[in-house]
Amino acid sequence: MPEEILRVEHISKRFGGVIALDDVSLSIQKGETCCLVGENGSGKSTMIKIISGVYTPDEGEIVINGNSYKKLTPMESIREGIQVIYQDFSLFPNLTVAENIAINQQLASGKQLVNWKQIDQIAAEGLAKINVSLPLDAIVSTLSTADRQLIAITKALLANARIIIMDEPTTALTQKEVMSLFKVINDLKSQGISTLFVSHKLNEVTEIADRTVIFRNGKKVMDQDAKGLNIKAMEYYMTGHEIDTSAIEYGEVREAEPPLMQVEKLNLSHGFFDVSFELKQNEVLGITGLLGSGRTELALALFGELPADSGRILINGKEAPFRSIKDAARHGIGYVPDDRIRQGLFLEQSIHNNIVISIIDKLVNKLRFVNNQAKESVGDRWIDQLDIKTPSGELAVKSLSGGNQQRVVLAKWLASNPKILILNGPTVGVDVGSKAEIHELIRSLAKQGIGILLISDDIPELIQTCHRILLMRAGRIVEEFKRAEITEQILDSELVAATAALGSRK
Amino acid sequence: MFKKIIRTNEFVIFLILVFLSLAIGVVNPAFYSISTVFDTLRASIVYFIMAFGLLPIVIAGGIDISFVAIAAVTSYATHMFLLGQGYEGGILLYYVIACSMGQLAGLLNGFLVTRFKLPVFDVSLATFTMWYGFNLFFVGATANFQLPKGTVGYYGNFIIKAQDPIVGETGLHVSMLYVLVIGLFIWWFLKYTTIGRGIFAIGGNREVAIRSGFNVTRITLVTFAIMGTLSAVAGVTQAFLSRYFNPVIFITQPLDVLAAIILGGAAITGGSGSVIGTALGVLVIQLINRALILTGIPVEWQRLVVGVILILFTSIPALRNLRAKRIGHTTELTQSE
Repeated sequence: MPEEILRVEHISKRFGGVIALDDVSLSIQKGETCCLVGENGSGKSTMIKIISGVYTPDEGEIVINGNSYKKLTPMESIREGIQVIYQDFSLFPNLTVAENIAINQQLASGKQLVNWKQIDQIAAEGLAKINVSLPLDAIVSTLSTADRQLIAITKALLANARIIIMDEPTTALTQKEVMSLFKVINDLKSQGISTLFVSHKLNEVTEIADRTVIFRNGKKVMDQDAKGLNIKAMEYYMTGHEIDTSAIEYGEVREAEPPLMQVEKLNLSHGFFDVSFELKQNEVLGITGLLGSGRTELALALFGELPADSGRILINGKEAPFRSIKDAARHGIGYVPDDRIRQGLFLEQSIHNNIVISIIDKLVNKLRFVNNQAKESVGDRWIDQLDIKTPSGELAVKSLSGGNQQRVVLAKWLASNPKILILNGPTVGVDVGSKAEIHELIRSLAKQGIGILLISDDIPELIQTCHRILLMRAGRIVEEFKRAEITEQILDSELVAATAALGSRK
Repeated sequence: MFKKIIRTNEFVIFLILVFLSLAIGVVNPAFYSISTVFDTLRASIVYFIMAFGLLPIVIAGGIDISFVAIAAVTSYATHMFLLGQGYEGGILLYYVIACSMGQLAGLLNGFLVTRFKLPVFDVSLATFTMWYGFNLFFVGATANFQLPKGTVGYYGNFIIKAQDPIVGETGLHVSMLYVLVIGLFIWWFLKYTTIGRGIFAIGGNREVAIRSGFNVTRITLVTFAIMGTLSAVAGVTQAFLSRYFNPVIFITQPLDVLAAIILGGAAITGGSGSVIGTALGVLVIQLINRALILTGIPVEWQRLVVGVILILFTSIPALRNLRAKRIGHTTELTQSE
């Protein structure tokens, strides 16, 4: 007999003129894993904030454990057993695992003195609840994202959570870590604790969900048992139109021309070994492998950030020693990092400023002052060309959505007119609709003659953009797939198999 | 266990201390004497006290320099007041009055920081200047050598006495006991009280500390009250150890104390720091002072040497990070192979 823990009924929420949620109802049963899916701006975050009491809905009511609320405060929400795990995990990086887990109990007890034995005991019991063992005296800042997430989940459990809401929990996790997170979620389920799993990644949703709910433009467009629901159907509901991968037009690679970039026996200790490949003009070359396979190190080496220990890089047939980012940039290489927020953008600065930053020394007048008119016209040209959705280029980049921010990073490098572009996880944290548009952009850039190295663990993404795909394992290139030779399905399954084999080997 | 100890900051600073002592002794064997130990400790006493008082603020992520001014104004004003009253008694009343004033002065900083959300450093820069100015303008501008009768013997009040062949009778001053008590108290306070853990929490992530339910305002005020009180203790102690009251005492010293705390493993951005490390840091800086005298290197070099050691020391974690970055992504790989 299913027992209903949470029910929201006919919830509407407006911000000014924008309708964030429009008459949405939703319920979660005891021990259920419910996935909430939707593009950016579909109302997922608003729903989380309403359930956790941060926002008060304009209309509708919330029923938790049989208690009905018109206005729910954050304290009431917590008391009813609702715990949200935000992406920052709300941890203290300088404190130990044990203290982070037990700190809420310590505060709630109102005790003025700390009993360290008790802290360790609380933490150990908490971790045991999810069958995880972590060193209790390890400092949190030395742990991986996955471990921090486990600490956050443990904290939530100790607060007597009945529903744990996870907001995009897999964004920074490796495949293996995602698998152990799913194991934890299933453990929680067996203890009767429900999970509301909010995610973009549809392949993960199919794996973990008991029930899938899809939001689009503030409305619930689908709510059904996850069995028999495939990714295509979900994409259809999310975007309102089917994403068709069959009609993709790939550009031609000019095989006859000499290669744009040749990499010969490149080595980096602790990074990668004996890496050799060629990149032609107009080509999109995919590099894939698990996190830790050396793919990121290779990208950084090609961009001069982690100079390789030995081996040669040739650009247009000439040897080009890359000792620094400046060297790489001088040879026409642009790099779009996987962590665009930290490595690629000045969030507080305007879109214009971000776009022109790499060519700012060319936009100066006679007195070597920045020519604002030139800056704006260059900026606007790229906003136009890459279809960055913003009312004005003078707005701060942080005002943009993830997909549009990624375009600004691309624009920044395209403005410097690169011959080779290295893209590292270009659609991480980008919703399905923008993703397809970025893929189209990648293909059209290749058609214009740029050689593109695409580093990604998103297999559909690689298939939709690349001409060739290199698979890395333990720092070496172990296989090469040519798209023209293998049909998509085979390539897909082989890559999945190769990656899975790699995962299970551990 | 042993492995763990040698990886701590405290151990590194301890090594520096040992190395310094050996190096000085090689140049000047006169360094190896009981009087050196007692003298170095005596010179360190007030710095220990001030550093322990400042440590909680630094752990919570603040940098304060006004503590030296608070030490000066509380000790000097207490002295001038009691002198005016014709006080002939002992030292205890000095501590009581000065500590009360010091606590208030510290709370003033704390109030400005918490009420108006001002950065700790900005506030302390203002009160640093203000208290020295106040001292010189309202209390008195000259050093005072007139001590009450009841305090005269205090200068030579040793817990352990020793005969040194060169300097004669020497010893460990009684105020070293205060240092011990204060150090133990601050260590206990930081480790075993909820407020103490709150100080670390605030330094680690202020936002999360607020969200977790720590009373950040109250905790901040407590750190400043401790700082003010202990600064007053240091000010009074210094005056009786040197047998005169100076209205601008310590005016050049705030950075030495901060340097000791940083050497002791505290991050300038907050979230870490230890009492033992701080104590060792104070000793290193004092030892460098003495070393330069004993080895005949001009005093002017002292600052340079302290600076270089700070650069070397603070770059150790940075170097570790750099190495971690080079092999960072691949730790998983190397483990699995």
